[in-house]
Order: sequence, then structure tokens, then C-alpha cells
Amino acid sequence: MRLLKTNNNDGCALCNATWGEYYREIDNEKMLFCCNICADIFENMVNEVKKRTGWEKIDYIELHGNYSSGRNCTAFSNGKRFSYYFRTYSDGKIMEFKNID
Amino acid sequence: MECPVCIETFKHGDFNEISEHFTLMSNDNDSEHISWLNNNISKTKLEKNELSKLFKRFYSCNDIKLWIINKFIEQFRGERPHPFILMMQDYNPRILKGYSFEHYFFLKQWVRSCSSIIASTDIDEIQNYEIENILSEYYGHDNIKPHIELLLEMAESYDIKREDIYNSRPLPKTEMAIKRWQVMSKAKTAVEMMAAMHSLELIANNDLRSYGAKYDYFNLKMLESSDVPDAVKSFLMEGYKADSHHSIDALDIINKYNSDIEGIQDSYLESAFVFSKYLEARIERGEIIEDKQQ
Ligand SMILES: [Zn+2]
Ligand SMILES: [Zn+2]
Repeated sequence: MRLLKTNNNDGCALCNATWGEYYREIDNEKMLFCCNICADIFENMVNEVKKRTGWEKIDYIELHGNYSSGRNCTAFSNGKRFSYYFRTYSDGKIMEFKNID
Repeated sequence: MECPVCIETFKHGDFNEISEHFTLMSNDNDSEHISWLNNNISKTKLEKNELSKLFKRFYSCNDIKLWIINKFIEQFRGERPHPFILMMQDYNPRILKGYSFEHYFFLKQWVRSCSSIIASTDIDEIQNYEIENILSEYYGHDNIKPHIELLLEMAESYDIKREDIYNSRPLPKTEMAIKRWQVMSKAKTAVEMMAAMHSLELIANNDLRSYGAKYDYFNLKMLESSDVPDAVKSFLMEGYKADSHHSIDALDIINKYNSDIEGIQDSYLESAFVFSKYLEARIERGEIIEDKQQ
């Protein structure tokens, strides 16, 4: 089975903070987040990536950025890649999401 | 000492208590407290003693005016500015439309906060400052239109009727901020409330770069662009001029009557916390207006 991983290895899969310990199952992977908002953001993002690519599963996501600038990301699945940018409100709602060529 | 996020109170100057509070809240995975820690103290989980030391450093202050300016820049106009500031670096009618709605409600509360300061002091300098502030924000003086009128004229330049603004309700983030300012104006001293409100005017201060700000309030090229309606230029320009001396004059007064530094810091932080949410509401409202038009 392929499991979803990110480049954040220290703590929260979205923001890498080590405060908090909140788990949510996403794509068969029990993922660690700092709080429910980071989990919501991550889950919404994964769903949006799947919607835009038609992929059923994602293997790995590389995330760079933060709340202020938004995040530049690349998702990988079965040797294919998809790059995108997204930004959210502090309550987790998506503010912007766009494909990057 | 008070928690900037939830306003729980602790013993004066007790960094152990506030550290313990944040540790407990993060153990409960509370997103607001964790996010505040990430942004202000550390993204790495720390033992209580270590955390307490960092809190002490965070609050350490030789000059309350500079302390507030530095904290403000870091949160809103520094290396990682507020998303609203980033969006104002381009001409973006959607954001300005959202601004028109939410700021109307902000200004309605603004004048109440200023009045509460007048009511809670007998220091002439403070009362006169607030009266002048109310005139320029709300009533006008010497043939200069008040800020609230310029705001409504900006809205009209985008074909938004005043009545639509009067008849709308603030978004939840704005409402939450207004509620906090109402609670604060009953509990805080005049000087604390001045720190809570007038520090926020640093958002538009045109001299903030000299203190280390990395971004202007908005892209100054907008003032010369023929794409931008005159009413929008007038609104932005007036705030830019007025808020600069408003914020710095207020900080000088706060500095002069700073008998309780910690109370001023608490008050500033509690207000900045909700102000950040309120700025998001301006963006969110812009998005709602745009969705309706499609
Ligand atoms: Zn997180
Ligand atoms: Zn708290």
C-alpha cells in the first residue's frame, strides 16, 4: 500500500510545528497535525488536488510557504507530478488555489 | 497579565503561569493558541521552563512605543505580512469592495471605543486627542470629509449603494472583533484602550518603513493609475495621511502615561489578535461580493 507523506518530518504535516498532537486519517494514512485547522486545510487541499488531477491517490506532497505568503506545493502520484499554489484563511477556509505550469 | 488569545488572567508578571496555560491549551490541540505560539514564540514544543524564558523575552520592553511598533510590524507589515497587506500591493477592486463593507462596521465601533476612552479619563491631552480623532474619522472638520464618508464614496465608485452597506451585517470575523473591543472598552483604562485602538492605525502609517516595515499599506502607484477611481484614491490617501500622525501621536501619549506597561501590552496584543481576523474579513467579503456578481 502507498501512504501519503509530506516533506514536514518534525511535526504537523502541514506547518511542521511540534505543538499539539491531532491525528486524522487521510488517504489511509493516519497523519499527525498540530490541530484540527491544519488537518482541515490539508484535507481540503488533498481533495482539491484529486479533483483537479483525477488522481485516486497521492504519494507525496512537497509544501513550501506559510499563512502569510500562501504555499507553493508539488504533489506526486505514480511518477506524475502536479504543482499548485494555495492560501487559506486562519480558520482553514481556502482563499486561493491555482495550478502552476 | 492576560492571554492574548482567550483573555484568561494570570498573576502580574508571572511568565510561568502564562506558559503553563499555553502548554495546557496546546496539549488540547487548541488551534488558536498553537497558532499564536507558532507565530510569536516558537514552532518547536518546549518544556515549561524554556517556554517561560521565551515569554519573558517576548514581553521584555524598555520603550513601550517601540515595543508596540515592532510587534505590529512583525505581525502585519514585516517579512511575513498579513495576507491583506500582500493583496493591497496590487490594484484589486474586489478587496477594496470588501474593505468598504467591513470597515463601515469597524468605524461604527471605532467611535464607540474612542468615546469610552474620553469617558474613562480626565486627562485633557487624551480627551482632546480622542475628540480630534472622532472628528477626522467620523464627523469631518475644516471642510475635510470624515474617513467614513470617504469610505462610502469609495464604495459608490464601485456601484455599491450606501444603503446596501447600512443594511448588511458584518461578517463573523468582524463581529467577533467588535465584540472583543466592546468588552475591552468596559474593562481597560484609558491608556490601555488607546494602545488597543490607536496602535492599529499603524497599519496605514507611511513612515513605518523607517522602523523596519517591509511593505507599504498599499501600492503607492495606485494613486497615479488611471484605472483607479478618484474616490478610491481619496480614501486611501486620507487614511495614509491621518493614520500616520494618529498612531504615532497616540503612542507618544501612551508612552507619557505608561504607569502599567504590562496592562498596555496585554491590551495591545488582545486587540491585534482580533484585528488580524478582521483584516481577513475584508478579503472574505470581497470574495462574497465577487461570487454574487458571477
Ligand atoms: Zn499545523
Ligand atoms: Zn488563552
